[in-house]
Amino acid sequence: MINRKKFDFVLLALLVLLIFLGCIAIYSASTTVVSGFKGTQNYWWRQIIFAVVALAGLTFVIWLPMPIFDVLILPAFIANIIALIAVLFTPSVSGAHRWFSIGGINFQPSESAKLLSILIIARNISREGLSDYRKILNGFSIMLIPIILIMLEPDFGTTIVFWVSLMAMLIAADVPVFYILLILSPAFSVVASVHWIGIVLWLLFLIGFLVMSRLSWVTITVAGIVNGFVSLVMPLFWMGLKDYQQNRILTFLDPTRDPLGAGYQIIQSKIAIGSGYLFGKGWLGGTQKNMNFLPEHHTDFIFSTIGEEFGFAGSIILLGVFVAFFARMIRASGELMVSERRVATSGIFAYLISQSFINIGMNIGLVPATGIPLPFISYGGSNLLFNTLSVAVVLKYMNERGFMK
Amino acid sequence: MSKPTRLFSIFSAILLAILLVSLFRLQVLRGKYYQQVAESNVLRIRRIFATRGEIYDNKYRPIVQNIPSHDLYLTTNKVVDIEALARFLFHHLGIENEELVEIVQKQRFKSYEEILIADNIEYESMLKISEYLDNFPELNFRIGSTREYLYPNHFSGYVGRINEEEYEKYRSEDYSLNGYIGKTGLERFYEVLLRGKDGKEIVQVDSRGRSLDLFSHEESYLEPLNGLSLVLTIDNDLQNFCEKAFPRHLRGALVVSDIRTGGILAYVSKPDYDPNIFMQRISPEAWKELNHKSKPMLDRVIHATYPPGSVFKPVTAGLGMEKKLVNRNTRFKSCGGGYQYGNRYFRCWLHSGHGRTNIIQALAQSCDVYFYDLSLKLPLDEFKDYAQRSGFYGKTGIDLPNERRGFFPDTQWYKENYGQNIQTSGHKINLSIGQGEILTSPIQMNAYFAALANNGVWIQPHLLKQTVGRSRLTAAEVQPLKSMKLPFSDSDLKLILEGLYATCNSKYGTAAVVQVPGAKTFGKTGSAENSMGKTTHAWFCGHIETDKPEIAVTVFMENAGGGGSIAAPVAKQVFDYYIGNIEDIKRTVAIPAQFRTAEDEEEEPQEEEEIVQPEEAEDEEDIIEIEEEEEEEQ
Repeated sequence: MINRKKFDFVLLALLVLLIFLGCIAIYSASTTVVSGFKGTQNYWWRQIIFAVVALAGLTFVIWLPMPIFDVLILPAFIANIIALIAVLFTPSVSGAHRWFSIGGINFQPSESAKLLSILIIARNISREGLSDYRKILNGFSIMLIPIILIMLEPDFGTTIVFWVSLMAMLIAADVPVFYILLILSPAFSVVASVHWIGIVLWLLFLIGFLVMSRLSWVTITVAGIVNGFVSLVMPLFWMGLKDYQQNRILTFLDPTRDPLGAGYQIIQSKIAIGSGYLFGKGWLGGTQKNMNFLPEHHTDFIFSTIGEEFGFAGSIILLGVFVAFFARMIRASGELMVSERRVATSGIFAYLISQSFINIGMNIGLVPATGIPLPFISYGGSNLLFNTLSVAVVLKYMNERGFMK
Repeated sequence: MSKPTRLFSIFSAILLAILLVSLFRLQVLRGKYYQQVAESNVLRIRRIFATRGEIYDNKYRPIVQNIPSHDLYLTTNKVVDIEALARFLFHHLGIENEELVEIVQKQRFKSYEEILIADNIEYESMLKISEYLDNFPELNFRIGSTREYLYPNHFSGYVGRINEEEYEKYRSEDYSLNGYIGKTGLERFYEVLLRGKDGKEIVQVDSRGRSLDLFSHEESYLEPLNGLSLVLTIDNDLQNFCEKAFPRHLRGALVVSDIRTGGILAYVSKPDYDPNIFMQRISPEAWKELNHKSKPMLDRVIHATYPPGSVFKPVTAGLGMEKKLVNRNTRFKSCGGGYQYGNRYFRCWLHSGHGRTNIIQALAQSCDVYFYDLSLKLPLDEFKDYAQRSGFYGKTGIDLPNERRGFFPDTQWYKENYGQNIQTSGHKINLSIGQGEILTSPIQMNAYFAALANNGVWIQPHLLKQTVGRSRLTAAEVQPLKSMKLPFSDSDLKLILEGLYATCNSKYGTAAVVQVPGAKTFGKTGSAENSMGKTTHAWFCGHIETDKPEIAVTVFMENAGGGGSIAAPVAKQVFDYYIGNIEDIKRTVAIPAQFRTAEDEEEEPQEEEEIVQPEEAEDEEDIIEIEEEEEEEQ
């Protein structure tokens, strides 16, 4: 099973290290010392159990013979889509239908959908002789199935991650970068439409860029019209919104507008992280976690506990481990020669790094709060399991790569 | 390095750089500032409790009101010496050490927030505790609000501190662990209306009073929305009279309802308890009293079911008429004081017998034999179906929690409980006079007799008339009222009513005492044998008419004796009182000034303008209110 010459022990070690750091942080986040009483909620040992299960799953994936693994992906994907449909009919938990609850264990099918969609799309778009146009079309069509189902739950935050990994997979499948930019251009147009100078500059840049890329006139015209339309319609659309709808969007972008809701948590998180200063208040020494984060400070806001208790030094060390981990994954995507596996690895890399960035960014008030947990660190069973399994897939591909390189 | 790999590396480097710069700025450059903010511990959300709606009778006289209370709060992170605190609290308030530890544990993730540890503290003990408060910076008093129940009753219910289970259950509805929740009765049933919505305020000044300015916008205050007050159909005068009219030493229920609306005017269950004792720590003596064997906590109007006895006879008669077995002239075997069926002898309550009677006489004199005879011609399952259509199987749907179902057995039930070969005829004979397995609650009886008086239209009994406060909703808007037509033809109904009239007004009627000058009385007595004791349950159900139907009265007394001799006189007192004070009871009262909305004051043309431009949701509510007012004016 494990090929000593090829197996990426470093990646595995970094993975285990991250999970370990997560358990330490969760222990602290779920512990409070109040006038001599030390109370610990049972989150941390549950996370340890989840970790053991996740590592067992990792072992299983690596052990599974490659042909069987390949055959299993499609049925697993279909089953997952069915689960995504079925979950919409479960009783709602605080307004959303995201979880199956079986015997006290909550399973979130959108977690497994990330990994399985990546694997399916990787297989589809890395087929021989597929035009760039077909790659983009196929990738989008497949990705839309889970995305629409997840939007219905509703869970918008998670879908961002799907888009990012799709882009990364297209790049890895050798789709030219300017196509990707072309796909993303309407999003830029939305941002640029804030001001008319922005619109003009952006459209000039876009058309110049397209002409330079020697694309066909048809493409240039279509892209120009679409972007022009989006930038012109956006302000009208914005003006057509009711005050409270505008407020909702503005609050999403700037949570401090809503001090009684989302803004309160973000500010608390910033105070916690900022007050950690250089070296932090020491493990279990955090004071801000005793404030009002419950129930998120061991899940989405776990980074605030780390920032508070280990300071800037601790944040740097955690980021360092993440950097090493992602560097290892980039290396893996470079070394894999089978195009399907390279594309899949790129997708997994993008999905993990985008979650990490969004989560930490959310903790320090950089990006809007979207309810995305920090991979391997945040408390949560299905999240940890499928993040670990996606690394397992990368490890498996590395382990069984050819001798060509 | 291949092209995608290079791109990924650049991409990752950019993300890393963004995070590093932000973290550096946050933790190093501004770290000292945030340390100060963290140490001053002042940024927090304070809850502003909404005022709970009050409860009034139909003339806006209070039944339940809010009064100020002294509440003691604890801030767990300020505790210095927990043992001293525990001794102090035990000595003054009787709070056990374990209780305190549990409170502190429960609050561990919000140790900066105050938690309510004792509410509604008496004035004297508040003074005593206040003297020592300097030694306990973690404790402080706040003025809160508690409920005052103006008279003992079973319908208002009471509120209590929210417990762990309820807190988990209603988590999404923004309850505070320091808050109250309706536990029983109307307080529970209309919790959603009464409660309102708590406001919030964010406190962001440091210890020197300087604003921290962490939020760029000023919307840091959310006003509480006070709860709606309930105006009930209850009439306090009549309620008070009924309380007194019900004999002190007896257990039972007395219900008076308005025939045309189904609204309950008086709701008495005896023995009763004072809901105010739940507003403070309950003393062991009070607890013992609540658990007395006479069950004062039991609401005998809706939470208990009893065999109805003869008051059920109109139902049996009704089915006989529907099946064309009985008409005005139908006579069965002569009553000689009993009825032989097979090897069993069923006695009539009058040993000397009633002779041959028609249906009117049979009802008036409550002749059992007439109904025994009739029952043998009625199929059991149709009987059950008919009882169900008359509102006796299931619940009436009154706006109170945990109403008990009525029960009527069918063939299936007998087979399950007595074996497959059961002969049901003997049971049917019993059921025909409201004995045997049948169970009904006083509220079901009242609704049925009110329906007889209301041209056979059964209306769901209810206590809520309307809400006042933020919005004015009628009972039907809060929850549509069920109504149904009883299975009677007009002529059949007339026959039954003749029987009920004869019960009160003929020489041999069992309720001949129930006669009121200037009004027509109708009724039926019952003396139900039961498993609870030797003495029968006394029932009287009936109604009174002036030029139109007025009120339906149900009197029920546990193990008190005969319906005609014990229950009927009480009903007569209620009828007398009602007719004597009819003007006063039926008087409509203008809505008091504090419940007038701005729209009430405005003139009509302006109201019309608002109707023309219904833009926002709030306006729609206004329109409903305006329409109601117009109806009232008419």
